[in-house]
Amino acid sequence: MDTHKGVLICGEIAKQKLAPVTIELLGIGRKLANELGEDLSILLMGSGTSGLGQEAIAYGADKVYVAEDSLLDNYNSDAYTQVAANLCRKILPSIMLLGHTDIGCDLAPRLNGRLGGGLAMDCLALSIDPSTRFLVSTRPVYGGNAHAAMVTRSARPQMATLRPKTVPPAERNDGRQGQVIVVEDKIDPSALRIKVIERIKEEVEGVKLEDAEVVVSGGRGIGSAQNFAMVKELAHVLGGAVGATRPVCDEGWMPATLQVGQSGKAVSPKLYIAVALSGAMAHITGCLGSKYIVAINKDKDANIFNVASFGIVADYKEVLPALTAKIKELKSI
Amino acid sequence: MPSREIFWNIPYNFLLYIFAGISVVFLAYCIYRRVKVWRLGKPEDRTSNIGKRIGIFIRTTITDIFGHRRFLSEPYPGIMHFTLFWGFMILLLSAAIDAISHFTNHLLRGTPYLWFSLISDIAGFVLLIGVIMAIYRRYVMKPKRLNTFADDGVVLGVLAAVAVTGYMIEGLRMAATEIIQHPDWAGWSPGGLVFAKAFSGLDTNTILLLHRSFWWFHSVMVIGMICYIGLTFSKFQHIFVSPLNVFFRSFGPLGTPAPIDMDKAEILGVGDIKDFTWKQLLDLDACTNCGRCQDSCPAWATGKPLSPRKLVQDLKVHMLNATNKQEMPPDNLLTLVGKAPTEDEIWACTTCGACQESCPVYVEHIVKIIDLRRNLVLAQNKMPETAQLMLRNMQSRGNPWAGVQAMRLRSDWTNEVGLKVLGDGDQVDTLFWAGCTGALVERNVKATLSLARVLKTAGVDFGVLGDAETCCGDPARRAGYEFQFQMMAEQNLEVFKNHGIKQIITSCPHCFNTLKNEYPKYGGDFKVIHYTQLIADLIQQGKLKLTNKLNSKLTYHDPCYLGRYNGVYQQPRKILQNIPAVKIKEMGRSQNKSFCCGGGGGHMWIEEQPGTTKINQMRIEDVIKTGADTVVTACPYCLQMFEESIEHKDIQDKLKALDLIEIVEATMKQS
Amino acid sequence: MNIIVCVKQVLDPEIPPAKFKIDTETKKVIPPLGVPPVISVFDERAVEAACRLKDKNKGKITVISMGTAKASDVVRHALSMGADDGFVLDDAAFENLDSFGTAYVLSKAIKKIGTYDLVLCGRQAADWGAGEVGSILAEILGIPVVTLACNIEVVDNKLRIKRIVKDGLEVLEAPMPGLVTVSSEIGLPRLPGGLGLMMARRKVIPVWKAQDIGAEASPLDKANVHSEVTSLSIPSRKSQCEMITGATPVEAAVNLASKIVSLM
Repeated sequence: MDTHKGVLICGEIAKQKLAPVTIELLGIGRKLANELGEDLSILLMGSGTSGLGQEAIAYGADKVYVAEDSLLDNYNSDAYTQVAANLCRKILPSIMLLGHTDIGCDLAPRLNGRLGGGLAMDCLALSIDPSTRFLVSTRPVYGGNAHAAMVTRSARPQMATLRPKTVPPAERNDGRQGQVIVVEDKIDPSALRIKVIERIKEEVEGVKLEDAEVVVSGGRGIGSAQNFAMVKELAHVLGGAVGATRPVCDEGWMPATLQVGQSGKAVSPKLYIAVALSGAMAHITGCLGSKYIVAINKDKDANIFNVASFGIVADYKEVLPALTAKIKELKSI
Repeated sequence: MPSREIFWNIPYNFLLYIFAGISVVFLAYCIYRRVKVWRLGKPEDRTSNIGKRIGIFIRTTITDIFGHRRFLSEPYPGIMHFTLFWGFMILLLSAAIDAISHFTNHLLRGTPYLWFSLISDIAGFVLLIGVIMAIYRRYVMKPKRLNTFADDGVVLGVLAAVAVTGYMIEGLRMAATEIIQHPDWAGWSPGGLVFAKAFSGLDTNTILLLHRSFWWFHSVMVIGMICYIGLTFSKFQHIFVSPLNVFFRSFGPLGTPAPIDMDKAEILGVGDIKDFTWKQLLDLDACTNCGRCQDSCPAWATGKPLSPRKLVQDLKVHMLNATNKQEMPPDNLLTLVGKAPTEDEIWACTTCGACQESCPVYVEHIVKIIDLRRNLVLAQNKMPETAQLMLRNMQSRGNPWAGVQAMRLRSDWTNEVGLKVLGDGDQVDTLFWAGCTGALVERNVKATLSLARVLKTAGVDFGVLGDAETCCGDPARRAGYEFQFQMMAEQNLEVFKNHGIKQIITSCPHCFNTLKNEYPKYGGDFKVIHYTQLIADLIQQGKLKLTNKLNSKLTYHDPCYLGRYNGVYQQPRKILQNIPAVKIKEMGRSQNKSFCCGGGGGHMWIEEQPGTTKINQMRIEDVIKTGADTVVTACPYCLQMFEESIEHKDIQDKLKALDLIEIVEATMKQS
Repeated sequence: MNIIVCVKQVLDPEIPPAKFKIDTETKKVIPPLGVPPVISVFDERAVEAACRLKDKNKGKITVISMGTAKASDVVRHALSMGADDGFVLDDAAFENLDSFGTAYVLSKAIKKIGTYDLVLCGRQAADWGAGEVGSILAEILGIPVVTLACNIEVVDNKLRIKRIVKDGLEVLEAPMPGLVTVSSEIGLPRLPGGLGLMMARRKVIPVWKAQDIGAEASPLDKANVHSEVTSLSIPSRKSQCEMITGATPVEAAVNLASKIVSLM
């Protein structure tokens, strides 16, 4: 335990910059490191990452480890696991944090398996227990019906993946000082068992779900793929993104990239409009971060009304067209 | 002494017997070969309880075959066939009497002979009327439900020719004999007399020659017809096949398929024509292509591809192909459901029973459809996605309402009215079976609570199972997922046994039908009643009084599974008639002709074919036509269907849908 | 090909949230009466993925489940879908294990089963939702792992997997043996067919104890658990939904529109 010190973040790069979730991790990481009185480090993998070193320091890192291998440019499970695990074994961090993204969901459990620490996934809150100095991770369980607080007493590192948009991003201070350390870790390409053959981008019209200020989601009650046009129209008029529940994506009415919920995306827009969805916890857990939730459902007992701020009990087919038209009218004034 | 010489002017008349004999033997042989075709099917017991069967057959013969009960609901085709049938039968009888007289040398004489002549003549006339009506209907009126083939022309042509030449022969004989010798007898053969007068101008030799020619022409035509029937199995075969089908008809409950042995079955449902039973194959031949089933089918009426008649005729083609020893396709794929009938047709059926109710020859359509669904679901894993969703929920949660468990649990309703739920070991005589829909769907829970309150007020002692109730299995069985049904039946029967249940009250006609008619096969021994039967009884016994006035104009919709399936038509009406100052208006299509709401056969969950009218939207028009402000029904599916169609038409302010029990509670004396 | 699928029996995720109750002392959920447990959603998809591979490639599917004796229900369900053999891992020593412990037990069972080309798991358990066991299991077995799969095929004797990522799909190739965790986007699982149900009805599902799979005491010792739950609570959800009304739904919609625009 005393052998392990410091907080290490596994950072993600998006469009040659630090990904938003990484900046959030730096924020919470700095807080945790301060409480422990220890260092905050971050690992950045891929070409050109040394250029981001200063940025990471400005956001709060004391040490930035850069692994500039072109094989790390895009996420590769074997390669990332190898580099991160090796670094971990070298610097022995007490706490290791990742974002709960498709990279984090893959990398964190593998690292945990390889390193033997303890891991809590999809955390909503991270804190240090003052008496034990253990990391306490709070995560949703049972589809979000309950919250579990978890600790790892002896195994190290204590790992957690953080749900995006649950903590504020770090504040930038360009005056901060820190170190950029190059990681020399030769990756043998032939040892990479998993190969990426192709990447298929899902063309999303309009605003992206995770970044949107407004999200309009449809559930099984929408009834068909064609009927989703009404949902899309409302989203468009509000300048927002379209979301969907798991059953909707399972049925193939909407692409999986638009799934909000326990096994989809977690979003925290200013306004979340839930149309014809019952509000099963597994879905709600993905939108509880929203400032205002509006529910439109013809069943007055639907669970969604228990978490919504405003609601209309009516058939969405009768509400949506009028709603869309009126908003359009009001916004053009 | 009035009489007539049989075979007058016909030398070598023994030839007739020889030809007739040969043709009858030939026909018998052809029938025998056809019986072998039917016997390609699997065995089915339709002969045990033969005494009861004969009794029912005699009764059905009188009401349906002689009385034409199922025909006469439509005047024109009804009278048309009535005349064809009775004209033909009497003439056939006359010919038989002639043959017997000739054989026994015991000729009809005197007044009996004269009446015999008259009746035969009238029969011929009646037959001709029938033939003319038929020709006019088929070739001029051309109703939609008739498919016309060459055989139809042959049949009608031959009948016409037989009738006309019959008169001609009689006329020619009378011209040469009766008119001259016994003019007072001639009036007893009016038809013949007309022709006799026409021929009387001819000289005797011509008359004799014409008579002989027409006589042989007439006889050869009839004999030829007998051979034709044997060879082509023309429409005429219904003369003997249809009564045979009526004899072997099911007198069990409507639409009940046979159980499948879950441990040993090799064939799951019907994937090949030979998987049908012999009786089901007999049905295919008994069908006369009349199309009454098509006309009464709600799926067909709303634009679905399903026509019960077409289904039967398509299957008949498969049956005939099977005997031609068609080569099986190389990959041995089951081809029965594919092009004709298609999967869409099979899934469009709501099992409402209107087809079977209208069929004059008692073809049994429903079980065939369920058998075909069974093979699609159990053996080929092919079903509409909406069906799959429902069936998966049946499997994992024991009820068909996917998603509803997120909002209420099975036993929640019992808390709202303070009932004691049966615990382990509790014994009770009467069980109130709420059913899935009644326990889980918001709107229907209201009706369940209403019934529970009414029963309590009436002092009925009953227990409820709460969450120990698992679906009766009806949606799974109608959708063809037989094994799930059987497992649920076994489970429920175990529960009934453990609580010593002797009587079950149901609110849902589907539960009612399944528990009453289908569970006994798996070892159930209890009485099952629908609440309308109980409430009607309680009112009659004075234990329930409906005293509050109801200023409503009501119309009552007969649920298929309560009405056609179980004959409960009167009790709901009796209940309604007990309401003071109520006005009741029947819909045009009511009682056994009631038009389905569209919810049966799994269709509360299985989506109707997109692009077609929804069945409930067609039925609501019948309701609206009555001018009623309330449509009353006694089935949770019907209730939901009516509310949906009322909402769709946006007439909630003018029309509302209520369960009968809700009206009973509202008009009951408040204690 | 030989496929092993790991399935878990969980509390039915579809229960009314109002009925969800926990015992804060034991940190366990109190299941509501009359609601039978179900197979974890993603594990059922994993079974479906296995069946699709067996349809195309011929092979054998073995299903294992760590749980109580009731877990045989979910194994039987998998058998009725098309799996060939099933085992339940039930031992007092297997209770209250964390992801590491669970992965360890599964790995011992897999080693007992012998040869395999592919191990399939759901991406996360429908109850605890951690999504760790699959990857840890792969690390223990020393085989490559691909997570969040929505499609799995065998091409040129290698696994070809489509994986869900933030803005689309990745198509990956991995050698066999490998482990894949399956997401619900793989599609609806099949309804068990007649033959499957008949076979599953008759099948004996053996129960393996710790000694049957050679599980050692130390990894199962609760003292050696990697992570533990210190508290389980139901977050307070104040239901304060303001209902927007109107004479008609259209009118209500108009009122809501004004409300929304005022919030933005």
